[in-house]
Amino acid sequence: MAYTEERTQMSLLRRERQLRPDLMLVIPYLLLSALGLVMIYTASAPRLEEAGLSPTQELEQQAAFVLVGFAAFAIVSVISLSVVRPWVPALYLGSVVTLILVLSPLGSAVKGAQRWIQLGPIRFQPSEIAKLAVILGLAMLLSAAARPMRWDRVARAVLIVAVPAVLIFLQPDLGTMLTFGFIAGVMIFVAGATWRQMAALLVAGLVATVAVFQAGVIKTYQITRLTAFLDETSDVLNTQYNQFQSQIAIGTGGVFGKGLFNGTQTNLRFVPEQSSDFIFTAVGEQLGFAGSFFVLVMFGLIIWRVLVAAANARDRFGQLAAAGVAALVAFHVFVNIGMTIRVMPVTGLPLPFMSSGGTVFVVMSVALGMAHSVWMRRSPLVGERTGGDS
Amino acid sequence: MIGTWRLAGVGLVMAVMLAGLGLRLWAIQVTETEDYSAEAERNLVRVVATPAPRGDIYDRNGELLAGTKASLAVVVDMALVEDDFAEDLAQRLAAFLDQPASEILERFDTANSGAQLILAKDLTERQALTLVEHREDFPGVAVIPQPVRDYPNAELASQVLGYIGKPSEADLERPGVKGTDVVGKAGVERFYDDLLRGTEGEIKYRVDATRSVLQRLGEQESEPGDNLILTIDSGIQTQLQESLKAGLELARDLEMAERTEALEVENVQTRLFLAREAAQLAAIREANERRAAAAEAGEDAIADEDSLAIEEAGEIDEGEVLGSLYSGLPIDENRVCVPVQRVEVGVGSRTLLSGMTERTMRLDAVLENGTQRVAVVDVDGEQFEVEDGDTFASTLRVIAIEQEALIVSHADKWCPVRAVGVVEDPNDGSILAMASYPSFDPSAFVDGLTQSQWESLGTINAFTNFAIQGQYAPASTFKVVSYVLALEESIYPLDRPTGDRIIGDGESAADPAAEEGQTEVDVPEGEETPPTTQPPSDEELQPLTSDTELYNCTGSLRFRFNDGSSQVYRDWKRNGHGPLDLHGALQASCDLYFWEIALRVWNERSNEAGINNEDLWQEWARQFGFGTETGIDLPFEKPGLIPDRQWFRDEQRKGTGRVRSTGPWVGGDLMNAVVGQGTVLVTPLQLSNGFSAMVNGGTLWEPRVVSEIVNQDGEVTDENEKATLGTIDLDPDTVRAIRTDLQQVVNGPIGTARSAFANFGPRVASVGGKTGTAEIIKAEEDVQEVDTAWFVGLAPVGSPDYVVTVVVERGGSGGGVAAPVARQVLQYLVNGESFVTPLEPGERAD
Repeated sequence: MAYTEERTQMSLLRRERQLRPDLMLVIPYLLLSALGLVMIYTASAPRLEEAGLSPTQELEQQAAFVLVGFAAFAIVSVISLSVVRPWVPALYLGSVVTLILVLSPLGSAVKGAQRWIQLGPIRFQPSEIAKLAVILGLAMLLSAAARPMRWDRVARAVLIVAVPAVLIFLQPDLGTMLTFGFIAGVMIFVAGATWRQMAALLVAGLVATVAVFQAGVIKTYQITRLTAFLDETSDVLNTQYNQFQSQIAIGTGGVFGKGLFNGTQTNLRFVPEQSSDFIFTAVGEQLGFAGSFFVLVMFGLIIWRVLVAAANARDRFGQLAAAGVAALVAFHVFVNIGMTIRVMPVTGLPLPFMSSGGTVFVVMSVALGMAHSVWMRRSPLVGERTGGDS
Repeated sequence: MIGTWRLAGVGLVMAVMLAGLGLRLWAIQVTETEDYSAEAERNLVRVVATPAPRGDIYDRNGELLAGTKASLAVVVDMALVEDDFAEDLAQRLAAFLDQPASEILERFDTANSGAQLILAKDLTERQALTLVEHREDFPGVAVIPQPVRDYPNAELASQVLGYIGKPSEADLERPGVKGTDVVGKAGVERFYDDLLRGTEGEIKYRVDATRSVLQRLGEQESEPGDNLILTIDSGIQTQLQESLKAGLELARDLEMAERTEALEVENVQTRLFLAREAAQLAAIREANERRAAAAEAGEDAIADEDSLAIEEAGEIDEGEVLGSLYSGLPIDENRVCVPVQRVEVGVGSRTLLSGMTERTMRLDAVLENGTQRVAVVDVDGEQFEVEDGDTFASTLRVIAIEQEALIVSHADKWCPVRAVGVVEDPNDGSILAMASYPSFDPSAFVDGLTQSQWESLGTINAFTNFAIQGQYAPASTFKVVSYVLALEESIYPLDRPTGDRIIGDGESAADPAAEEGQTEVDVPEGEETPPTTQPPSDEELQPLTSDTELYNCTGSLRFRFNDGSSQVYRDWKRNGHGPLDLHGALQASCDLYFWEIALRVWNERSNEAGINNEDLWQEWARQFGFGTETGIDLPFEKPGLIPDRQWFRDEQRKGTGRVRSTGPWVGGDLMNAVVGQGTVLVTPLQLSNGFSAMVNGGTLWEPRVVSEIVNQDGEVTDENEKATLGTIDLDPDTVRAIRTDLQQVVNGPIGTARSAFANFGPRVASVGGKTGTAEIIKAEEDVQEVDTAWFVGLAPVGSPDYVVTVVVERGGSGGGVAAPVARQVLQYLVNGESFVTPLEPGERAD
């Protein structure tokens, strides 16, 4: 009937504008960010104070980024991904260009790694943005995949990942490069690759790894970093100093932790890089297993909700993008926390929403926002009948 | 939509990953949390060791012989040196300390990250100040006063004191010894190392990650080592060392004088010519024999081979032929002989070999022959290809062949090598002085010797304490043992007017002629045919019954065998001494008298009615401590050797070459032993201790160099009291007799040391002693003798307080060289320093 059609049409628009946020996603996001700020404060304040600076300096800096991130999250959540879709190729190319620029004299090196670009007062990491670009790019490519997936699409997918991955590897940034591999694997799998194709990807990945090691492209320190954590007896104080100290710190946390500012390792600066890569150490030491468990649960919730969003996505593009986001967050969480307890090698991956760092937080927020956007536009919309496809 | 299952699968994988993390966190934070607390605690506490000063060593009068001084050292704390700054720091330190930067960097790289490296010691105050003022330029570097061993008297008593150095593998196994410590390596420093070291202290700090000290947690003070009080008297020690040095120089001067004299008499060229001729004749004879054998076998002889062999035979080794008269033997700048010199020459270069006639040595090449290196070297035109350990060019022996260099020792085996002395108190076994010369300064070890310093001192064995480590044939000084045996057991020689004897066949009392140069066996010239009168055989002779009965000490003792051959043992005095009793025999050091005692023991060894004890003499010798270590509180002491049948057989079986390869222990071996020749070996300390026991009435002391151990506050924590090894049951008459006879050796008309003590000064009558000259004929080389000179002196002879033992290796005669050295020391002891007169050679009397 005309009335019903109109109503349907109207409501469709209105329904689209009706926000159905996922609190189970938003609340852990907010909680983790808040906890992250607190941890950054406890880790940085003693050091800053001793140096005669304001103890809240780092906290304030990160808080500013957090607010920007929150805003980004909110904005991206509301934007429909289909709006973004036409811009994806440009975004991807732009990302590759910035990655090349980073390697050029324009890029700045920090701690021996060529990872940043300084644009006036703003300094950002192109590799972080590349994560988004690759997720979107892969989503776009794979969303048109046939069933069964054809090999040429697999090859193209690999190419899309490989180009930025190699550029990142040359910075050198091993950890981020591996992230891309993981994300690509998950997304290709979710897009419908056959087992044989997955196997081929796995083999190709292994071969590439071996080739890279053999070609001596990886610097020795990177290899030592990777293998050192496996060797209990090797010179602890040099190569694995950070990890060793981190594990000790977390271990001494006990069940309920030593309490804020009572972490001797944290507060006596035994764990270097504590605000950034080793932020989880602060949690483990000060808040004990209770705190660690809480963080794990929060991340678990986030990842689960993102996967649910993927399952209920309206289109394949959204589904794949969300799957990519889940992989992004999960890989970071697993590698970062694993690193602090010597289950994984030191790779320099930050902990999402908690590690200090502006670009990282904003990018992660945007990624989460994308997943949230997929959720909010999920099928079926209010009043819509399901099409019966699954 | 497609993929829900896949998503579920991905979700499952991620869940598992998270669960894994959760489990590990549980393990670390709940189950194992205790272990981590302990680790964290360790992180927070830093322990700094504070070194303990080493104990001091004093002489008996309280004079400091070894102490500790503070030296400012540059110490780098590796924990504070950041990796990227290390190279920079190394460069700056290199410039400041004048050390190569690469070395410093290497030490950085190989050090533990928590180690504290000592880069330099003995900084001046100014250097220390500079470092402290500019400490920002040298992060992790501190100036710390380090205790350092100091020997204020340089070479005084250096062998007794010993030296310190880095610990060996064995040392590291001792409790409390670390790789960075120093330990005693020789002498008292080594023997009492555990007491001298003290205990390290430690300071515990609570620190943070940058090693900034937050809090001092506690301190345990270091305990300094205990001090040692030695029995050594510095005055006597100084005199002994000076006299030994002068004595060795005298011996070398005498040796040079002898050679010069001999050269005037001998025509060296004639000698060489004759030697060459003899060698060629021998080669020709051999060639003829070969030809004859070949002819017999029906083959053609090879003429060329023969003529080559004959020519080669003519190329004799001059050094071998001329012996000590060879002009290529090494000498020093005063043209006096030198026992050994270390010579190094690089590939392509040449060096001069010292000698009355200089030679040039040129190293042409070093070849690698698998694992061995071969040096191609030219000496005055003659080429040699030598490997490690080879001897060549008469005087040279290869010590080492390096890639680009050859190191040899240039040696003179007839030049007096060293002088060793001991002064003992026979009333309690304390050692008042002990030294061997050439000596060394232990201070050199404190900072570490250079390679060449180590090698030069090592080549002359300066570090070895020959007073306890040198084993020598005691020669005539050993006659005192048979003397005591004679008196105590009433065993005197057979009454023999002519000094000849007959042996039946099947029994030889003496060694087969000229076997491995064991004993001096010499057929006197001009006496090829036996005399017509047969001397009485042993069965017919009667032994003398008392010590005062006279025996005819002729110049030689001849053994005749039934097959007509004969063997002669010569006294050191060619024409003999004439009739002497036991006392005269000791004073004049007559060999025959004591040989006869040996022969009696030997002949009656199985005679139940007679002596009935083959080892009687050995038993007496061992009672006086010979053949066993004295147990003095110094390391590396040697036991010496008293040979007997059992030992002889063992040596033959082992094939060591020290004894003849066939035939059992026989009477001739005992004869040699009784006069301290042959295979008998004693250390100077053993001889001193044995003599002490004889002259003090029979108490064999355990000698000691340390009398007390005192802690830093001066309290005596331990006493090393005098101790005895045994008591010998001696008749007081024996003791009196030996004192009298020893006094007569120095003062009596026939005494062998009379001329050496001629200008002694007052109270010479209170001095006694015994000379000894040991003839060494090396078994491997059939060469001339190089005699070891001995003298054991004592004063005051009635109740001795001092026993002075001197031995000069290759020194010549006991009376000529060793006695004057002892004389100087005795002058000091008996009359005081002002009565010490310069050394002069004594009469060449045994």
